[in-house]
Amino acid sequence: MDKPDPTRQTKTRTKKESLSREERQKQLEFQNEAVVHLNALYNYALHLTMNPSDAEDLVQETYLKAYRFFNSFERGTNCKAWLFKILKNNYINRFRKNSKEPGKVDYDLIKDFYHSIKDTRSDTSESESDYFHSLLHEEVYQALHSLPEEFREVIQLCDIEGFTYEEIANMVESPIGTVRSRLYRGRKLLRAQLEGYAKKYGFNNDNVQ
Amino acid sequence: MNCKKAGVLISASVDGELSLSEEREFLLHLSECTECRVEFEDAKKTKMIIKEKIIQFKAPEALIVSIMQLTNFNTKEHEESLLYE
Repeated sequence: MDKPDPTRQTKTRTKKESLSREERQKQLEFQNEAVVHLNALYNYALHLTMNPSDAEDLVQETYLKAYRFFNSFERGTNCKAWLFKILKNNYINRFRKNSKEPGKVDYDLIKDFYHSIKDTRSDTSESESDYFHSLLHEEVYQALHSLPEEFREVIQLCDIEGFTYEEIANMVESPIGTVRSRLYRGRKLLRAQLEGYAKKYGFNNDNVQ
Repeated sequence: MNCKKAGVLISASVDGELSLSEEREFLLHLSECTECRVEFEDAKKTKMIIKEKIIQFKAPEALIVSIMQLTNFNTKEHEESLLYE
């Protein structure tokens, strides 16, 4: 590559400065709007892939794509929902297309995650007679992951991430009515699971009033 | 509204996603039916439990750094390509 022609220096400079100012503006806006959701995206990716290195790759890809297409993000709409949708699409393209190679589930990792957390049952169950409060993090996690994916996904997006039905419908590419009924059915299944755990500790559903 | 119909609406009602007319009917039914009221409270609790008990992890430091660099890198590349055009 040739060195820049000194006679063109001034022209190039001005062009460069004005463009990079624009780029800097985009960068700043991107950081304020998109990068702030990094933790949420990482957790979503973890739940989808169940594998931290896949999750990191997925998040990285998502941000790369999001930055490239940031101009097409509709200002004033929910940027987090926009990013989740990109991540989900990436996930489908990467991990689902090739059904022969399902994402390896890192069970040890999940165990470690939950073992590193102190058992909080003793803190809460004394003040609360409610059986729900006897549940452990790991059990809730297991219960959620025992659900068929279509149910687990909407519960995650709704309860953990706080998206509206409309946003979820857009993300999972289904009508709002479908999201609503999946949540209804998924929660029924989830409740049955959780009550199963609660019974194990001697909390009987009949006692709950 | 009967209990069966109210039961189906409980899930959407804890999310605040009922239509106005559904909500009106639903609340009316709750005011008259203890059983559905208990169901409704339990549904609210289940939602809370999910939110509270599912651990949110912090993204690894390396990932944060690389995402931050991503935007900077693009700018640099952009600048260079302009400089040598």
